[in-house]
Amino acid sequence: MSRKTKPPSSETLARLRDYAERRLTREEVEAALHIPIGEEERAKVVALVRWFRRRYPTPLDRLAYVRRAHRRWRPETPRQKT
Amino acid sequence: MEHFEFDEVEFFRAVQASEVRALLIGRRALVALGLPVLTADYDFWIHIDDIQALNGALEPFGLTPTRSSQEARRTGRYVLENGEMVDVLVARSVPTVDGVTVAFDDVWKRRQELDLAAGVRISLPSLDDLIATKRFAARPKDLEDIRLLEILRSEVEE
Repeated sequence: MSRKTKPPSSETLARLRDYAERRLTREEVEAALHIPIGEEERAKVVALVRWFRRRYPTPLDRLAYVRRAHRRWRPETPRQKT
Repeated sequence: MEHFEFDEVEFFRAVQASEVRALLIGRRALVALGLPVLTADYDFWIHIDDIQALNGALEPFGLTPTRSSQEARRTGRYVLENGEMVDVLVARSVPTVDGVTVAFDDVWKRRQELDLAAGVRISLPSLDDLIATKRFAARPKDLEDIRLLEILRSEVEE
């Protein structure tokens, strides 16, 4: 059974955007970057990069893919800085 | 607003032809290098003396600046927009969140170039410098991007 969800209000979207776009403090940045990159995380990223480079072998292919993907994923929302 | 069919190759060709010292930064740089991340806009860091040249090069694409050149120089950034959004950083140097000053001229000297199409190349900061640029704004997603870039860098070094 599908269930329709109410879209968030513009105020909620603005709050979320502000939260996501906030500038972290030096301490927050250092704390986050001191978390070591684990083997699992590294392997996942490397696999993702290999897939992406194989599927889209040139920089132009990759840039074009992202343009298409962005249009597909956010077709009706106003453009926001990402 | 008049609609322009945006041609990415022609866009980068125009930037190159203008001889603007322009570095592609932000998530599109990550994408070009092979990291599949989502982004809507183009981010450039250009030499502070090249604002008018960039504006002139991108005017045929209907991209218009949100600030005068003088104001852009004063504030250190502006946007070119018309459907597409091109965020332009024009500072001679930018401090990272941890207080390191990153100078455009140094980053430009260390740039890497990628072939985009026949006769079209794009300039990107080196991986180390791209990571440094992610410490400018220091948003949560910039930290995610730094981890991705560090993994990419370790793969390159292996």
